[in-house]
Amino acid sequence: MALTEDPYTLISKWLHAKEFLVVGKGIARADALDKALGTAKFVEDYFQEGMLFVKQVLSTEPHAKILRVRDEEALKVPKVVKVFTARDIPGENQVGYALPDQPLIAEGKVRYHGELVALVAAEDIDAALRAAELVKVDYDPLPYVLDPLEALERKDVLVHEEVGSNIAFRTKVRKGNVEEGFSEADVIVENEYRTHHQDHVYLETEGALAIPGLDGRLTVVTAAQYPHLAQSIIARVLGVPASSIKVVVPFMGGGFGGKDDEGPLTAAKAALVAHLTGRPAFILYTREESLRMHPKREATIIKYKSGATKDGKLTAIDVKIIHDTGAYANRGPFILWRATVHASGPYEVPHARVEGYCVYTNKVYQGSFRGFGNPSVQFAAEMQMNELARKLGMDPVEFRLKNMLRPGSRTITNQLLEESVGIAEAVEKLAEKVNWAKRRAECESFKGRYRRGIGIGVAWHGISTSRGVPDWSNAYVKIDKDGSVSMFTGIVEMGQGSPNSSHRQIVAEILGAPLEKVKVVFGTSDAPDAGATHASRGTSIGAIGVLVAAARVRERLNKLAAELLGCKPEDVEIKNGVVRAKGTGKELSWDELIKQAYARGVDLSATGYFFLPKGKFNDELGQGQAYPAFSYVAMIAEVEVDTWTGKVRVLRIWPALAAGRIINPQQVEGQIEGAAVQGMGYVLMEQFVFDNKGRILNADLTDYVVPTTLDIPEIEKPVYVEDLFKYGPFGAKGVGEMALIPAPAAIAGAVSHALGKPITKLPLTPEAVYFELRKGGST
Amino acid sequence: MFYRIPEINYFRASTLEEALELISKLENVKVLAGGSDLLIDLKIRRYEVKNVVDISGIKELSYIEDRGDHVAIGAATKLQDIVESPIIATKAPVLAEAVNEMASWQVRNVATIGGNLCNASPAADTAPPLLVLNARLRLVSLEGEREVPITEFFLGPRKTVLRKGELLKEIVVPYERGAGASFIKLGRRNAFTLSVVAVATLVKVRNGIFDDVRVALNSVAPKPVRAVSVEKFLKSREVSMSAIEEGAKRVLQDISPISDVRASADYRKEMSVILTKESLLRSLERAGVKL
Ligand SMILES: Cc1cc2nc3c(=O)[nH]c(=O)nc-3n(C[C@H](O)[C@H](O)[C@H](O)COP(=O)(O)OP(=O)(O)OC[C@H]3O[C@@H](n4cnc5c(N)ncnc54)[C@H](O)[C@@H]3O)c2cc1C
Repeated sequence: MALTEDPYTLISKWLHAKEFLVVGKGIARADALDKALGTAKFVEDYFQEGMLFVKQVLSTEPHAKILRVRDEEALKVPKVVKVFTARDIPGENQVGYALPDQPLIAEGKVRYHGELVALVAAEDIDAALRAAELVKVDYDPLPYVLDPLEALERKDVLVHEEVGSNIAFRTKVRKGNVEEGFSEADVIVENEYRTHHQDHVYLETEGALAIPGLDGRLTVVTAAQYPHLAQSIIARVLGVPASSIKVVVPFMGGGFGGKDDEGPLTAAKAALVAHLTGRPAFILYTREESLRMHPKREATIIKYKSGATKDGKLTAIDVKIIHDTGAYANRGPFILWRATVHASGPYEVPHARVEGYCVYTNKVYQGSFRGFGNPSVQFAAEMQMNELARKLGMDPVEFRLKNMLRPGSRTITNQLLEESVGIAEAVEKLAEKVNWAKRRAECESFKGRYRRGIGIGVAWHGISTSRGVPDWSNAYVKIDKDGSVSMFTGIVEMGQGSPNSSHRQIVAEILGAPLEKVKVVFGTSDAPDAGATHASRGTSIGAIGVLVAAARVRERLNKLAAELLGCKPEDVEIKNGVVRAKGTGKELSWDELIKQAYARGVDLSATGYFFLPKGKFNDELGQGQAYPAFSYVAMIAEVEVDTWTGKVRVLRIWPALAAGRIINPQQVEGQIEGAAVQGMGYVLMEQFVFDNKGRILNADLTDYVVPTTLDIPEIEKPVYVEDLFKYGPFGAKGVGEMALIPAPAAIAGAVSHALGKPITKLPLTPEAVYFELRKGGST
Repeated sequence: MFYRIPEINYFRASTLEEALELISKLENVKVLAGGSDLLIDLKIRRYEVKNVVDISGIKELSYIEDRGDHVAIGAATKLQDIVESPIIATKAPVLAEAVNEMASWQVRNVATIGGNLCNASPAADTAPPLLVLNARLRLVSLEGEREVPITEFFLGPRKTVLRKGELLKEIVVPYERGAGASFIKLGRRNAFTLSVVAVATLVKVRNGIFDDVRVALNSVAPKPVRAVSVEKFLKSREVSMSAIEEGAKRVLQDISPISDVRASADYRKEMSVILTKESLLRSLERAGVKL
């Protein structure tokens, strides 16, 4: 085989590997010990006395003109250095990701209660806190709008005047003719669903430390999910070239999408102060600030109509999705896109009309959160499926299987799915494992105070960015003289483990180097831009570059070893540090091979750029290729409902994944468990309470409740169907978000089964369930 | 939006005597025991405080003693000590049952029982069990000591009968022989959560008749309350499911819940009835009474 450096050839070569050294194994992650011992360092750990402390002054109005920011009293506090407002920004005060509608620091007016109005820098934390209290802002209150349906109608109260309405963005998908589809239907179900905000509640709140001049640039140590994006946002705000900014993301205490949005902004705040004062500056959000100001999971209203024939085939769906995007669009348009093209659930639907509205209101804005617009719409779609099945007198799993996407199916955007569609097999295996029909019947035998129910959620999730939005991967691999290997990536380590588990495994697998010789340097803008660590892409798209870079070096090593061992390059085998010529008994050590490479002029460094090929999508027609591939997931949940109090207990969760190759089953289980619990919290207890000024009343962890260990159900071992994706590293499609997406549908479906009533609104707090049970007479 | 603890003078007392002198002498003074309520209240500026007297180091305020016909608990006793105490487990198990559901192990290792009572939160979880146990509180100042029944201790949210210069020194829990008692807390999750409603009940039954019935609730009124209407209804009545159900409904006459971020008033009302019933049933079972 000739030496090849072509990424397509290399990806495909390793996709079809038959045997693996480390891939597919539950190998302990490189940072396990450091995390267990508490020696792993996070942003805050780099703070030192003598650095400036930055404190934020937040809006106390939902919508108001800023007349004046008065800092005279604040500046009298000893050790206060300066108060910064929008006026001090040397570059552009514009940080909107999807639309240019958002300032870093409010300028002219504020649009939500909690928006950043000024930054206070002081020599120590006490002075900063005291001064922040003394900054007085004169507001001229404006009329405001909190309800998205009202916002849609109103033209007199505009969150962004320049837009002319409160609609930030619209989306659409069209397929066939819905009227015709409904006329073919024997049963029709029509409902309005409502889902609510959710906070990420990462253990580590947002923080950043900016140090001017370190490493010849302004270096910002921050908790952001995409160092290169933070770098470009900082550069824009400061009005300097990106090359003069370096961003380093150390270990992160959770991201879940929240630090994809807020991370770069946090970094920009610290960078602004450092840039303007010439001194190291540190910012750390309190939990209360974090809850008040950073973007939340979208709150939605979804109107959903679907039809099916007597023999259980879907004929049409008509869906209207309204996202309450709050004060800013942020990534709302992308989130809405995802919801729109996934609106059918993983099913074949011949006729579809989906319309999406991203609506401004004067509340905290929506943003990225594990699942990205998908959990809410899959909830609606799956509740529809349950109701259709009930009306048809069919088992919900059987009904789903009749309509499920399979290889050769077309989606609602008319995208042809040629391969990598393992969901039907996954659902069949899962139902068998759970003993679905029997368990369902058993649940129905509970008639007393405690009722039982079982529910299923099946979902799909497009891999990569939607439509033609560019997506790529990259990494840099080098081998040092002593045979140790370094891999540099912009992918971050936020607990999910991709750099420290799967990336390391991929490098070791491909090079044949001993695992302990492989070091991954992650989360730095000095590494090649691998895209963000979001959209479940760390180990999938994010690692394609890792595979390509390592495979390029491996090709060169094979060629060299072949020369040294007197065999063909394809007969070279490298396993755990031993280099062999297959079938000859001739071998040499890894260290020797590397020594020879240095002696003979073989380049042992490579990058692995890969630009993901994408089809076309026509936004006007709402048709075309939505995503290069989809990951699939199913979840069955069993619950117990206390009919006296309305309290729901999730007893057991069974997950199934069709997400391509499972590179590290241990890590995947961790992701599934975490996502299932986060999803359960969302369904059962988490919710924000807003007052009539749009202020969050429970912006603290006393009253924003998330699950504890004692709330966590039994989570069974996942069912895997490894439906390989041809461009994924070893065929991996991505896992991080997956188990959260079907959780609302599965749990709400189980509650609905227990109560014998449809569920259309989340969350299912004891109070909500209690009153639902008594509404219109209970069953 | 204030998360800064304002400047205060901090005093650490090592004896009760010293603490009493400090709190009688100082203006705008607050006692600090575990600080798990007070520090948060200082941050959100619930009180204007100039001076804080830390009593957490006073050994003579931390004890659990069996005194023959009652149990005495020092005010600065940590909640976790109550959970683990064999004396409480045998002489006042309903108190341990309640405290075991409070906060977390970490918080229970700093928080004190005196702090929970003196903080006088409507949601205080030690209150319902102590109310049904007819506990008495021994208050002390430089002038001397007095004892008040716990039913008279709370005046409203964060208000008690404690006078300037006065401390809670001891909680006296009389023995209850032949009683069955229980505590049920409804929160928003299974652990580490404040009560939406909590109910404690205690019953004594003789010859199939309710000899004594005590019911107390938190989070449904400006202060933890005894449900006297329920008690009056059931006392001297024959034990039966219909009596219990009828009695439990009377709880609505004893409570005045509000709607807040944790729950609506309506839900609290419904739950008060349901949990009263459930707790009465559980207490009866524990008293060895079959329905
Ligand atoms: C995370 C968390 C979870 C919690 N969970 C619960 C829960 O589940 N249930 C619940 O009821 N509470 C809960 N609490 C509240 C709190 O922990 C308890 O009320 C605790 O018992 C308070 O005791 P402390 O010693 O910390 O009081 P402190 O904060 O020290 O004092 C509280 C108040 O009482 C006064 N005080 C204290 N001791 C005396 C004394 N001997 N004499 C006179 N005045 C005194 C203080 O001046 C102050 O006003 C929780 C708190 C936190 C932070």
